[in-house]
Amino acid sequence: MSALVRVSFSLAKREFTRFIRQPQRVIGTVAQPLLFWLFLGAGFAGSFRPAGMEGVSYLEYFYPGVMLMMMLFASIFSSITIIEDRDAGFLQGVLVAPVSRLAIVLGKVLGCTSIAMVQTLIFTVAAPFLGLHLGFGSLVMLLMGFVLTGIGFSALGFLLAWGMKSTSAFHAVMMVFLMPLWMLSGALFPLGNVPVAMKFVMLANPVSHALIIIRAPFYYGPDVLLADPHYLASLAVTVVWAVACLGLSMARVNKREKGVAAA
Amino acid sequence: MITIDSLTHIYPATRKVAARTAISALTLAVKEGEFVILSGPNGSGKSTLFRILCGLALPSSGRVTVAGFDLFAQPAKVREVMGVVFQSPAVDKHLSVAENLAIHGDLYGLSGPEFRARRDEALSWTDLADRLDQQVATLSGGLARQVELAKVLMTNPKVLLLDEPTTGLDPVSRRNFLDALHRLQKARGMTVLMTSHVFAEADDVDRVAIMREGQLLAYDSPQALKALIGTEMVVIQAKDTEGLAARLRADMGLAVRCIGDEVRLEETENGDSLPLLEKILDRYRPDVLSISIKQPGLDDVFVHVTSRAVPDHALAIDLKRTGT
Repeated sequence: MSALVRVSFSLAKREFTRFIRQPQRVIGTVAQPLLFWLFLGAGFAGSFRPAGMEGVSYLEYFYPGVMLMMMLFASIFSSITIIEDRDAGFLQGVLVAPVSRLAIVLGKVLGCTSIAMVQTLIFTVAAPFLGLHLGFGSLVMLLMGFVLTGIGFSALGFLLAWGMKSTSAFHAVMMVFLMPLWMLSGALFPLGNVPVAMKFVMLANPVSHALIIIRAPFYYGPDVLLADPHYLASLAVTVVWAVACLGLSMARVNKREKGVAAA
Repeated sequence: MITIDSLTHIYPATRKVAARTAISALTLAVKEGEFVILSGPNGSGKSTLFRILCGLALPSSGRVTVAGFDLFAQPAKVREVMGVVFQSPAVDKHLSVAENLAIHGDLYGLSGPEFRARRDEALSWTDLADRLDQQVATLSGGLARQVELAKVLMTNPKVLLLDEPTTGLDPVSRRNFLDALHRLQKARGMTVLMTSHVFAEADDVDRVAIMREGQLLAYDSPQALKALIGTEMVVIQAKDTEGLAARLRADMGLAVRCIGDEVRLEETENGDSLPLLEKILDRYRPDVLSISIKQPGLDDVFVHVTSRAVPDHALAIDLKRTGT
Protein backbone atom coordinates (compact mmCIF):
# COMPACT_ATOMS: atom_id res chain seq x y z
CA MET A 1 0.00 0.00 0.00
CA SER A 2 2.69 2.47 1.01
CA ALA A 3 4.58 1.52 -2.15
CA LEU A 4 1.49 2.32 -4.21
CA VAL A 5 1.22 5.77 -2.63
CA ARG A 6 4.96 6.43 -2.92
CA VAL A 7 5.16 5.50 -6.59
CA SER A 8 1.91 7.24 -7.55
CA PHE A 9 2.97 10.38 -5.75
CA SER A 10 6.42 10.35 -7.31
CA LEU A 11 5.02 9.96 -10.82
CA ALA A 12 2.31 12.56 -10.20
CA LYS A 13 4.92 15.00 -8.93
CA ARG A 14 6.91 14.46 -12.10
CA GLU A 15 3.81 15.21 -14.16
CA PHE A 16 3.28 18.45 -12.31
CA THR A 17 6.93 19.50 -12.50
CA ARG A 18 6.91 18.96 -16.24
CA PHE A 19 3.79 21.03 -16.55
CA ILE A 20 5.07 24.09 -14.72
CA ARG A 21 8.29 23.96 -16.73
CA GLN A 22 6.30 24.50 -19.91
CA PRO A 23 4.69 27.91 -19.47
CA GLN A 24 3.06 27.73 -22.92
CA ARG A 25 1.02 24.79 -21.69
CA VAL A 26 -0.10 26.69 -18.62
CA ILE A 27 -1.09 29.76 -20.61
CA GLY A 28 -2.75 27.80 -23.41
CA THR A 29 -4.98 25.66 -21.25
CA VAL A 30 -6.09 28.58 -19.06
CA ALA A 31 -6.51 31.16 -21.79
CA GLN A 32 -8.49 29.07 -24.24
CA PRO A 33 -11.55 28.35 -22.04
CA LEU A 34 -11.34 31.87 -20.66
CA LEU A 35 -11.64 33.34 -24.15
CA PHE A 36 -14.42 30.87 -24.91
CA TRP A 37 -16.27 31.99 -21.84
CA LEU A 38 -15.84 35.71 -22.44
CA PHE A 39 -16.67 35.65 -26.15
CA LEU A 40 -19.63 33.28 -25.96
CA GLY A 41 -20.80 34.99 -22.79
CA ALA A 42 -20.76 38.37 -24.49
CA GLY A 43 -22.33 37.05 -27.68
CA PHE A 44 -25.20 35.16 -26.09
CA ALA A 45 -25.87 37.63 -23.29
CA GLY A 46 -28.80 39.19 -25.12
CA SER A 47 -30.46 36.05 -26.44
CA PHE A 48 -30.13 33.78 -23.42
CA ARG A 49 -33.64 33.57 -21.95
CA PRO A 50 -34.35 30.00 -20.92
CA ALA A 51 -37.61 29.33 -19.09
CA GLY A 52 -37.25 29.34 -15.33
CA MET A 53 -33.79 30.94 -15.32
CA GLU A 54 -34.71 34.58 -15.56
CA GLY A 55 -32.23 35.80 -12.99
CA VAL A 56 -29.25 34.00 -14.53
CA SER A 57 -26.95 35.73 -17.02
CA TYR A 58 -25.32 33.64 -19.71
CA LEU A 59 -21.89 34.39 -18.27
CA GLU A 60 -23.08 32.93 -15.00
CA TYR A 61 -24.83 29.98 -16.61
CA PHE A 62 -21.79 29.13 -18.70
CA TYR A 63 -19.34 29.60 -15.81
CA PRO A 64 -19.49 26.05 -14.36
CA GLY A 65 -19.61 24.76 -17.94
CA VAL A 66 -16.30 26.46 -18.65
CA MET A 67 -14.88 25.00 -15.47
CA LEU A 68 -15.93 21.60 -16.69
CA MET A 69 -14.34 22.37 -20.02
CA MET A 70 -11.13 23.37 -18.31
CA MET A 71 -11.10 20.13 -16.36
CA LEU A 72 -11.82 18.25 -19.59
CA PHE A 73 -9.14 19.93 -21.69
CA ALA A 74 -6.50 20.09 -19.00
CA SER A 75 -6.93 16.49 -17.82
CA ILE A 76 -7.22 15.02 -21.27
CA PHE A 77 -4.41 17.01 -22.82
CA SER A 78 -2.22 16.15 -19.87
CA SER A 79 -2.98 12.48 -20.06
CA ILE A 80 -2.05 12.26 -23.74
CA THR A 81 1.51 12.88 -22.59
CA ILE A 82 1.51 9.12 -22.05
CA ILE A 83 2.13 8.90 -25.81
CA GLU A 84 5.06 11.28 -25.44
CA ASP A 85 6.34 9.29 -22.46
CA ARG A 86 6.32 6.17 -24.54
CA ASP A 87 8.00 7.75 -27.55
CA ALA A 88 10.62 9.43 -25.39
CA GLY A 89 11.36 6.14 -23.66
CA PHE A 90 10.45 7.19 -20.14
CA LEU A 91 7.46 4.86 -19.97
CA GLN A 92 9.37 1.67 -20.68
CA GLY A 93 11.62 2.38 -17.72
CA VAL A 94 8.55 2.63 -15.50
CA LEU A 95 6.99 -0.50 -16.98
CA VAL A 96 9.99 -2.68 -16.18
CA ALA A 97 10.21 -1.34 -12.63
CA PRO A 98 8.81 -3.49 -9.83
CA VAL A 99 5.77 -1.29 -9.28
CA SER A 100 2.07 -2.07 -9.29
CA ARG A 101 0.39 -1.34 -12.60
CA LEU A 102 -2.25 0.62 -10.72
CA ALA A 103 0.47 2.96 -9.45
CA ILE A 104 1.50 3.69 -13.04
CA VAL A 105 -2.08 4.66 -13.92
CA LEU A 106 -2.64 6.58 -10.69
CA GLY A 107 0.61 8.49 -11.05
CA LYS A 108 -0.47 9.79 -14.43
CA VAL A 109 -4.09 10.37 -13.50
CA LEU A 110 -3.41 12.15 -10.21
CA GLY A 111 -0.72 14.27 -11.85
CA CYS A 112 -3.11 15.30 -14.62
CA THR A 113 -5.91 15.94 -12.13
CA SER A 114 -3.73 18.24 -10.07
CA ILE A 115 -2.66 20.14 -13.18
CA ALA A 116 -6.30 20.59 -14.19
CA MET A 117 -7.25 21.61 -10.66
CA VAL A 118 -4.67 24.37 -10.49
CA GLN A 119 -5.95 25.90 -13.69
CA THR A 120 -9.57 25.62 -12.75
CA LEU A 121 -8.95 27.03 -9.30
CA ILE A 122 -7.35 30.11 -10.83
CA PHE A 123 -10.57 30.52 -12.76
CA THR A 124 -12.63 30.15 -9.57
CA VAL A 125 -11.40 33.62 -8.62
CA ALA A 126 -14.01 35.00 -11.04
CA ALA A 127 -16.93 33.63 -8.99
CA PRO A 128 -17.50 36.67 -6.74
CA PHE A 129 -17.66 38.93 -9.78
CA LEU A 130 -20.65 36.94 -10.99
CA GLY A 131 -22.37 37.33 -7.65
CA LEU A 132 -21.66 33.71 -6.74
CA HIS A 133 -20.49 33.28 -3.18
CA LEU A 134 -19.14 29.98 -2.04
CA GLY A 135 -19.36 29.02 1.61
CA PHE A 136 -16.68 26.73 3.03
CA GLY A 137 -18.89 23.65 2.77
CA SER A 138 -19.75 24.39 -0.85
CA LEU A 139 -16.11 25.01 -1.67
CA VAL A 140 -15.24 21.58 -0.32
CA MET A 141 -18.05 20.04 -2.39
CA LEU A 142 -16.81 21.93 -5.45
CA LEU A 143 -13.25 20.71 -4.90
CA MET A 144 -14.52 17.17 -4.56
CA GLY A 145 -16.38 17.63 -7.85
CA PHE A 146 -13.16 18.83 -9.50
CA VAL A 147 -11.15 15.92 -8.15
CA LEU A 148 -13.67 13.31 -9.26
CA THR A 149 -14.14 14.87 -12.68
CA GLY A 150 -10.41 15.24 -13.11
CA ILE A 151 -9.81 11.60 -12.25
CA GLY A 152 -12.62 10.50 -14.57
CA PHE A 153 -11.39 12.55 -17.52
CA SER A 154 -7.71 11.80 -16.97
CA ALA A 155 -8.36 8.08 -16.67
CA LEU A 156 -10.50 8.21 -19.82
CA GLY A 157 -7.73 10.10 -21.59
CA PHE A 158 -5.19 7.55 -20.39
CA LEU A 159 -7.36 4.72 -21.64
CA LEU A 160 -7.81 6.33 -25.06
CA ALA A 161 -4.21 7.42 -25.43
CA TRP A 162 -2.60 4.16 -24.33
CA GLY A 163 -3.11 2.32 -27.57
CA MET A 164 -2.53 5.30 -29.87
CA LYS A 165 0.56 5.76 -31.95
CA SER A 166 0.47 9.52 -32.25
CA THR A 167 -0.99 12.55 -30.57
CA SER A 168 -2.66 13.66 -33.81
CA ALA A 169 -5.01 10.67 -33.69
CA PHE A 170 -5.84 11.65 -30.17
CA HIS A 171 -6.83 15.15 -31.23
CA ALA A 172 -9.24 13.69 -33.76
CA VAL A 173 -10.88 11.53 -31.09
CA MET A 174 -11.05 14.52 -28.84
CA MET A 175 -12.94 16.59 -31.40
CA VAL A 176 -15.46 13.99 -32.53
CA PHE A 177 -16.00 12.22 -29.24
CA LEU A 178 -15.24 14.36 -26.23
CA MET A 179 -16.32 17.79 -27.46
CA PRO A 180 -19.83 16.52 -28.31
CA LEU A 181 -20.06 14.88 -24.88
CA TRP A 182 -19.22 18.22 -23.36
CA MET A 183 -21.62 20.14 -25.59
CA LEU A 184 -24.44 17.72 -24.78
CA SER A 185 -23.80 17.93 -21.07
CA GLY A 186 -25.69 21.15 -20.54
CA ALA A 187 -22.46 23.11 -20.17
CA LEU A 188 -23.11 25.30 -23.21
CA PHE A 189 -26.91 25.51 -23.17
CA PRO A 190 -29.62 24.14 -20.89
CA LEU A 191 -31.02 20.81 -21.96
CA GLY A 192 -34.44 21.56 -20.49
CA ASN A 193 -36.22 22.07 -23.79
CA VAL A 194 -34.47 19.51 -25.93
CA PRO A 195 -36.20 16.55 -27.61
CA VAL A 196 -36.70 13.41 -25.54
CA ALA A 197 -34.07 11.48 -27.46
CA MET A 198 -31.48 14.01 -26.42
CA LYS A 199 -32.60 13.71 -22.81
CA PHE A 200 -31.47 10.09 -22.90
CA VAL A 201 -28.15 11.11 -24.34
CA MET A 202 -27.80 13.53 -21.51
CA LEU A 203 -28.65 10.96 -18.87
CA ALA A 204 -26.23 8.46 -20.35
CA ASN A 205 -23.53 11.09 -20.71
CA PRO A 206 -21.21 11.00 -17.70
CA VAL A 207 -20.07 14.53 -18.53
CA SER A 208 -23.52 15.93 -17.73
CA HIS A 209 -23.38 14.30 -14.32
CA ALA A 210 -19.94 15.78 -13.79
CA LEU A 211 -21.42 19.16 -14.67
CA ILE A 212 -24.13 18.74 -12.06
CA ILE A 213 -21.67 18.04 -9.27
CA ILE A 214 -19.63 21.08 -10.31
CA ARG A 215 -22.56 23.47 -10.83
CA ALA A 216 -24.65 22.57 -7.80
CA PRO A 217 -22.21 23.72 -5.05
CA PHE A 218 -22.39 27.28 -6.42
CA TYR A 219 -26.05 27.43 -5.44
CA TYR A 220 -26.51 25.03 -2.53
CA GLY A 221 -24.68 24.08 0.63
CA PRO A 222 -23.59 20.53 1.47
CA ASP A 223 -26.63 19.98 3.71
CA VAL A 224 -29.01 20.43 0.77
CA LEU A 225 -26.80 18.62 -1.76
CA LEU A 226 -26.22 15.49 0.29
CA ALA A 227 -29.96 15.11 0.78
CA ASP A 228 -30.80 15.59 -2.89
CA PRO A 229 -31.33 12.35 -4.85
CA HIS A 230 -30.42 13.99 -8.19
CA TYR A 231 -27.14 15.26 -6.87
CA LEU A 232 -26.35 11.93 -5.22
CA ALA A 233 -27.19 10.04 -8.41
CA SER A 234 -24.82 12.26 -10.41
CA LEU A 235 -22.17 11.87 -7.76
CA ALA A 236 -22.55 8.09 -7.93
CA VAL A 237 -22.34 8.08 -11.75
CA THR A 238 -19.17 10.18 -11.65
CA VAL A 239 -17.56 7.95 -9.04
CA VAL A 240 -18.45 4.79 -10.96
CA TRP A 241 -17.14 6.34 -14.17
CA ALA A 242 -13.83 7.33 -12.56
CA VAL A 243 -13.35 3.92 -10.95
CA ALA A 244 -14.29 2.08 -14.15
CA CYS A 245 -11.84 4.12 -16.24
CA LEU A 246 -9.09 3.55 -13.68
CA GLY A 247 -9.77 -0.18 -13.68
CA LEU A 248 -9.84 -0.42 -17.45
CA SER A 249 -6.65 1.62 -17.72
CA MET A 250 -4.94 -0.70 -15.29
CA ALA A 251 -6.05 -3.73 -17.27
CA ARG A 252 -4.74 -2.06 -20.41
CA VAL A 253 -1.32 -1.45 -18.85
CA ASN A 254 -1.23 -5.01 -17.61
CA LYS A 255 -1.89 -6.40 -21.04
CA ARG A 256 1.27 -7.23 -22.91
CA GLU A 257 1.45 -7.52 -26.67
CA LYS A 258 1.45 -11.20 -27.48
CA GLY A 259 2.86 -13.23 -30.34
CA VAL A 260 0.41 -15.42 -32.21
CA ALA A 261 0.51 -19.18 -32.18
CA ALA A 262 2.23 -20.89 -35.09
CA ALA A 263 -0.15 -21.67 -37.92
CA MET B 1 20.25 -17.18 -14.20
CA ILE B 2 18.43 -16.64 -17.47
CA THR B 3 17.11 -19.68 -19.27
CA ILE B 4 15.32 -19.39 -22.54
CA ASP B 5 13.66 -22.57 -23.62
CA SER B 6 12.41 -23.11 -27.20
CA LEU B 7 11.10 -19.58 -27.46
CA THR B 8 9.07 -18.69 -30.52
CA HIS B 9 7.55 -15.33 -31.32
CA ILE B 10 5.33 -14.71 -34.30
CA TYR B 11 4.02 -11.24 -34.99
CA PRO B 12 0.37 -11.34 -35.94
CA ALA B 13 -0.56 -10.67 -39.55
CA THR B 14 -2.06 -7.29 -40.34
CA ARG B 15 -4.05 -6.31 -43.40
CA LYS B 16 -0.90 -5.37 -45.28
CA VAL B 17 1.75 -7.58 -43.76
CA ALA B 18 1.74 -11.34 -43.39
CA ALA B 19 2.51 -12.93 -40.02
CA ARG B 20 6.23 -12.86 -39.36
CA THR B 21 8.31 -15.20 -37.26
CA ALA B 22 10.77 -13.09 -35.33
CA ILE B 23 12.13 -15.79 -33.03
CA SER B 24 12.04 -19.44 -33.84
CA ALA B 25 12.54 -22.15 -31.21
CA LEU B 26 15.39 -20.30 -29.54
CA THR B 27 17.10 -21.97 -26.60
CA LEU B 28 19.83 -20.22 -24.65
CA ALA B 29 21.06 -20.15 -21.08
CA VAL B 30 23.06 -17.50 -19.29
CA LYS B 31 24.75 -18.68 -16.12
CA GLU B 32 24.87 -16.69 -12.92
CA GLY B 33 27.53 -14.00 -13.01
CA GLU B 34 28.10 -14.40 -16.71
CA PHE B 35 28.54 -11.53 -19.14
CA VAL B 36 26.97 -12.39 -22.47
CA ILE B 37 26.77 -10.33 -25.64
CA LEU B 38 23.90 -11.00 -27.98
CA SER B 39 24.50 -10.02 -31.54
CA GLY B 40 23.00 -10.45 -34.94
CA PRO B 41 22.26 -8.53 -38.13
CA ASN B 42 19.40 -6.04 -38.20
CA GLY B 43 16.09 -7.85 -38.16
CA SER B 44 17.54 -10.98 -36.59
CA GLY B 45 15.07 -10.94 -33.71
CA LYS B 46 17.35 -9.38 -31.09
CA SER B 47 14.99 -6.56 -30.24
CA THR B 48 12.00 -8.87 -30.03
CA LEU B 49 13.93 -11.16 -27.72
CA PHE B 50 14.91 -8.15 -25.65
CA ARG B 51 11.30 -6.96 -25.35
CA ILE B 52 10.24 -10.42 -24.24
CA LEU B 53 13.06 -10.71 -21.73
CA CYS B 54 12.26 -7.42 -20.08
CA GLY B 55 8.64 -8.42 -19.81
CA LEU B 56 7.11 -6.00 -22.31
CA ALA B 57 5.87 -8.68 -24.70
CA LEU B 58 4.62 -12.24 -24.44
CA PRO B 59 5.93 -14.82 -26.90
CA SER B 60 3.90 -17.23 -28.99
CA SER B 61 5.36 -20.17 -27.11
CA GLY B 62 8.30 -21.19 -25.00
CA ARG B 63 9.51 -20.61 -21.48
CA VAL B 64 11.82 -18.09 -19.90
CA THR B 65 13.02 -18.08 -16.32
CA VAL B 66 15.02 -15.31 -14.71
CA ALA B 67 16.62 -15.96 -11.31
CA GLY B 68 14.39 -18.99 -10.97
CA PHE B 69 11.13 -17.12 -11.61
CA ASP B 70 8.91 -17.81 -14.56
CA LEU B 71 8.97 -14.57 -16.53
CA PHE B 72 5.45 -14.97 -17.90
CA ALA B 73 3.73 -16.28 -14.77
CA GLN B 74 5.55 -14.10 -12.20
CA PRO B 75 6.57 -10.92 -14.00
CA ALA B 76 6.47 -8.87 -10.78
CA LYS B 77 9.04 -11.16 -9.13
CA VAL B 78 11.34 -10.87 -12.12
CA ARG B 79 11.06 -7.08 -12.20
CA GLU B 80 12.43 -6.96 -8.66
CA VAL B 81 15.74 -8.54 -9.60
CA MET B 82 16.17 -7.11 -13.07
CA GLY B 83 17.59 -3.87 -14.38
CA VAL B 84 17.03 -2.81 -17.97
CA VAL B 85 18.90 -0.30 -20.11
CA PHE B 86 16.99 0.54 -23.26
CA GLN B 87 18.32 1.75 -26.56
CA SER B 88 16.46 5.03 -26.18
CA PRO B 89 17.21 6.27 -22.67
CA ALA B 90 14.30 5.90 -20.26
CA VAL B 91 14.89 9.26 -18.65
CA ASP B 92 12.72 12.34 -18.57
CA LYS B 93 14.50 15.05 -20.51
CA HIS B 94 12.53 17.84 -18.86
CA LEU B 95 13.75 16.86 -15.42
CA SER B 96 17.16 17.32 -13.89
CA VAL B 97 19.62 14.49 -13.37
CA ALA B 98 18.88 14.47 -9.64
CA GLU B 99 15.12 14.42 -10.22
CA ASN B 100 15.40 11.50 -12.60
CA LEU B 101 17.45 9.55 -10.11
CA ALA B 102 14.99 10.41 -7.34
CA ILE B 103 12.04 9.08 -9.36
CA HIS B 104 13.98 5.93 -10.09
CA GLY B 105 14.73 5.58 -6.39
CA ASP B 106 11.01 5.93 -5.64
CA LEU B 107 10.13 3.28 -8.21
CA TYR B 108 12.51 0.85 -6.57
CA GLY B 109 11.72 1.79 -3.00
CA LEU B 110 15.02 3.49 -2.23
CA SER B 111 14.95 6.46 0.11
CA GLY B 112 16.90 8.38 2.72
CA PRO B 113 20.57 7.65 3.40
CA GLU B 114 20.42 4.36 1.51
CA PHE B 115 19.24 6.15 -1.61
CA ARG B 116 21.97 8.77 -1.34
CA ALA B 117 24.68 6.18 -0.78
CA ARG B 118 23.54 4.10 -3.75
CA ARG B 119 23.21 7.19 -5.89
CA ASP B 120 26.69 8.43 -5.12
CA GLU B 121 28.11 5.00 -5.83
CA ALA B 122 26.24 4.78 -9.13
CA LEU B 123 27.46 8.22 -10.13
CA SER B 124 31.07 7.59 -9.14
CA TRP B 125 32.19 6.46 -12.60
CA THR B 126 30.25 9.12 -14.49
CA ASP B 127 30.99 12.72 -15.37
CA LEU B 128 27.72 13.82 -13.82
CA ALA B 129 28.78 14.74 -10.29
CA ASP B 130 28.62 18.50 -10.89
CA ARG B 131 25.64 18.36 -13.24
CA LEU B 132 23.02 16.96 -10.90
CA ASP B 133 20.78 20.00 -11.20
CA GLN B 134 21.03 20.27 -14.95
CA GLN B 135 18.06 19.22 -17.07
CA VAL B 136 18.77 16.06 -19.02
CA ALA B 137 17.69 17.81 -22.25
CA THR B 138 20.68 20.14 -21.91
CA LEU B 139 23.19 17.28 -21.57
CA SER B 140 25.04 15.75 -24.49
CA GLY B 141 23.83 12.38 -25.78
CA GLY B 142 26.66 10.58 -24.05
CA LEU B 143 26.01 12.23 -20.71
CA ALA B 144 22.28 11.49 -20.99
CA ARG B 145 23.21 7.87 -21.49
CA GLN B 146 25.37 8.00 -18.41
CA VAL B 147 22.31 9.14 -16.46
CA GLU B 148 20.41 6.13 -17.71
CA LEU B 149 23.18 3.75 -16.76
CA ALA B 150 23.77 5.31 -13.37
CA LYS B 151 20.06 5.04 -12.75
CA VAL B 152 19.96 1.34 -13.48
CA LEU B 153 23.12 0.51 -11.54
CA MET B 154 21.74 2.38 -8.54
CA THR B 155 19.17 -0.32 -7.85
CA ASN B 156 21.77 -3.09 -7.73
CA PRO B 157 20.03 -5.57 -10.03
CA LYS B 158 20.96 -9.24 -10.05
CA VAL B 159 20.31 -9.45 -13.75
CA LEU B 160 21.07 -6.59 -16.09
CA LEU B 161 19.74 -6.40 -19.63
CA LEU B 162 21.20 -3.80 -21.96
CA ASP B 163 20.03 -3.00 -25.47
CA GLU B 164 22.89 -1.49 -27.47
CA PRO B 165 23.78 0.76 -24.57
CA THR B 166 26.83 2.36 -26.15
CA THR B 167 25.02 3.73 -29.19
CA GLY B 168 25.85 7.40 -29.49
CA LEU B 169 28.75 7.38 -27.06
CA ASP B 170 32.13 8.70 -28.13
CA PRO B 171 34.99 6.18 -27.93
CA VAL B 172 36.23 7.51 -24.61
CA SER B 173 32.81 7.45 -22.93
CA ARG B 174 32.20 4.05 -24.42
CA ARG B 175 35.42 2.75 -22.90
CA ASN B 176 34.64 4.36 -19.54
CA PHE B 177 31.18 2.93 -19.52
CA LEU B 178 32.30 -0.58 -20.44
CA ASP B 179 35.06 -0.47 -17.85
CA ALA B 180 32.59 0.58 -15.19
CA LEU B 181 30.13 -2.05 -16.30
CA HIS B 182 32.72 -4.82 -16.20
CA ARG B 183 34.01 -3.65 -12.85
CA LEU B 184 30.54 -3.53 -11.28
CA GLN B 185 29.54 -6.78 -12.90
CA LYS B 186 32.52 -8.54 -11.34
CA ALA B 187 32.20 -6.81 -7.98
CA ARG B 188 28.51 -7.58 -7.65
CA GLY B 189 28.44 -10.87 -9.50
CA MET B 190 25.77 -9.48 -11.81
CA THR B 191 24.50 -11.51 -14.72
CA VAL B 192 24.63 -9.33 -17.81
CA LEU B 193 23.03 -9.83 -21.19
CA MET B 194 23.82 -7.05 -23.61
CA THR B 195 22.92 -6.68 -27.26
CA SER B 196 25.61 -5.03 -29.31
CA HIS B 197 26.95 -4.63 -32.81
CA VAL B 198 30.30 -3.38 -31.69
CA PHE B 199 32.61 -6.33 -31.42
CA ALA B 200 35.38 -4.36 -29.86
CA GLU B 201 33.11 -4.58 -26.82
CA ALA B 202 32.93 -8.34 -26.95
CA ASP B 203 36.51 -9.42 -26.51
CA ASP B 204 36.50 -9.53 -22.73
CA VAL B 205 33.06 -11.02 -22.19
CA ASP B 206 32.30 -14.60 -21.20
CA ARG B 207 30.23 -15.63 -24.17
CA VAL B 208 28.90 -14.24 -27.41
CA ALA B 209 25.60 -15.33 -28.94
CA ILE B 210 24.97 -14.66 -32.61
CA MET B 211 21.42 -14.72 -33.94
CA ARG B 212 20.03 -14.63 -37.43
CA GLU B 213 16.45 -14.89 -38.57
CA GLY B 214 15.28 -15.68 -35.08
CA GLN B 215 17.66 -18.57 -34.58
CA LEU B 216 20.80 -18.97 -32.59
CA LEU B 217 23.71 -19.54 -34.97
CA ALA B 218 26.54 -19.60 -32.49
CA TYR B 219 26.99 -19.28 -28.76
CA ASP B 220 30.44 -19.59 -27.28
CA SER B 221 33.40 -17.79 -25.76
CA PRO B 222 35.05 -15.18 -28.00
CA GLN B 223 38.17 -17.39 -28.27
CA ALA B 224 36.22 -20.44 -29.39
CA LEU B 225 34.30 -18.36 -31.90
CA LYS B 226 37.47 -16.94 -33.40
CA ALA B 227 38.84 -20.46 -33.71
CA LEU B 228 35.85 -21.16 -35.97
CA ILE B 229 37.48 -19.37 -38.86
CA GLY B 230 41.01 -20.62 -38.45
CA THR B 231 43.87 -18.60 -37.22
CA GLU B 232 44.53 -16.42 -40.22
CA MET B 233 42.79 -15.27 -43.33
CA VAL B 234 43.69 -13.60 -46.58
CA VAL B 235 41.61 -10.59 -47.51
CA ILE B 236 41.73 -9.17 -51.02
CA GLN B 237 40.15 -6.04 -52.41
CA ALA B 238 39.81 -6.36 -56.16
CA LYS B 239 38.65 -4.26 -59.09
CA ASP B 240 36.10 -6.95 -59.87
CA THR B 241 35.30 -8.82 -56.68
CA GLU B 242 33.04 -11.52 -58.12
CA GLY B 243 35.26 -12.04 -61.16
CA LEU B 244 38.40 -12.54 -59.14
CA ALA B 245 36.63 -14.85 -56.70
CA ALA B 246 35.40 -17.00 -59.57
CA ARG B 247 38.89 -17.25 -61.04
CA LEU B 248 40.46 -18.07 -57.69
CA ARG B 249 37.97 -20.88 -57.29
CA ALA B 250 38.42 -22.19 -60.81
CA ASP B 251 42.17 -21.73 -61.29
CA MET B 252 43.49 -22.38 -57.81
CA GLY B 253 40.73 -24.44 -56.21
CA LEU B 254 40.46 -22.04 -53.28
CA ALA B 255 37.29 -21.88 -51.17
CA VAL B 256 36.97 -18.11 -51.27
CA ARG B 257 33.92 -16.10 -50.37
CA CYS B 258 32.81 -12.65 -51.40
CA ILE B 259 31.76 -10.47 -48.51
CA GLY B 260 30.93 -6.91 -49.40
CA ASP B 261 33.71 -5.65 -51.67
CA GLU B 262 36.19 -8.14 -50.30
CA VAL B 263 37.28 -11.58 -51.39
CA ARG B 264 38.09 -13.63 -48.33
CA LEU B 265 40.00 -16.82 -47.92
CA GLU B 266 39.14 -17.98 -44.42
CA GLU B 267 40.29 -21.02 -42.49
CA THR B 268 43.86 -20.95 -43.70
CA GLU B 269 46.36 -22.73 -41.52
CA ASN B 270 49.10 -20.79 -39.79
CA GLY B 271 52.01 -20.22 -42.10
CA ASP B 272 50.05 -20.99 -45.26
CA SER B 273 48.82 -17.50 -45.70
CA LEU B 274 52.01 -15.82 -46.85
CA PRO B 275 52.85 -18.29 -49.67
CA LEU B 276 49.21 -18.11 -50.76
CA LEU B 277 49.28 -14.37 -50.80
CA GLU B 278 52.43 -14.39 -52.93
CA LYS B 279 50.90 -16.90 -55.31
CA ILE B 280 47.75 -14.83 -55.74
CA LEU B 281 49.77 -11.68 -56.28
CA ASP B 282 51.92 -13.42 -58.90
CA ARG B 283 48.96 -14.43 -60.96
CA TYR B 284 46.45 -11.63 -60.48
CA ARG B 285 48.55 -8.59 -59.70
CA PRO B 286 46.70 -6.23 -62.10
CA ASP B 287 43.29 -7.14 -60.59
CA VAL B 288 44.25 -6.71 -56.95
CA LEU B 289 43.82 -3.35 -55.26
CA SER B 290 45.02 -4.52 -51.87
CA ILE B 291 45.76 -7.81 -50.21
CA SER B 292 46.46 -8.60 -46.59
CA ILE B 293 46.74 -11.32 -44.00
CA LYS B 294 44.42 -10.80 -41.07
CA GLN B 295 43.98 -12.31 -37.65
CA PRO B 296 40.28 -12.98 -37.34
CA GLY B 297 38.42 -10.74 -34.92
CA LEU B 298 34.91 -11.21 -33.63
CA ASP B 299 33.48 -9.07 -36.37
CA ASP B 300 34.98 -11.52 -38.86
CA VAL B 301 33.27 -14.34 -36.98
CA PHE B 302 30.05 -12.38 -37.19
CA VAL B 303 30.42 -11.92 -40.93
CA HIS B 304 31.40 -15.55 -41.34
CA VAL B 305 28.49 -16.92 -39.34
CA THR B 306 25.74 -14.61 -40.51
CA SER B 307 26.49 -13.98 -44.15
CA ARG B 308 26.42 -17.49 -45.55
CA ALA B 309 23.16 -18.72 -46.98
CA VAL B 310 22.85 -21.79 -44.82
CA PRO B 311 20.08 -24.24 -45.38
CA ASP B 312 18.30 -25.28 -42.19
CA HIS B 313 20.08 -28.59 -41.79
CA ALA B 314 23.46 -26.92 -41.85
CA LEU B 315 22.60 -24.94 -38.75
CA ALA B 316 22.79 -28.05 -36.63
CA ILE B 317 26.35 -28.65 -37.74
CA ASP B 318 27.28 -25.10 -36.97
CA LEU B 319 25.87 -25.32 -33.50
CA LYS B 320 27.72 -28.53 -32.83
CA ARG B 321 30.96 -26.91 -33.80
CA THR B 322 30.45 -24.13 -31.33
CA GLY B 323 29.70 -26.55 -28.55
CA THR B 324 26.20 -25.27 -27.94
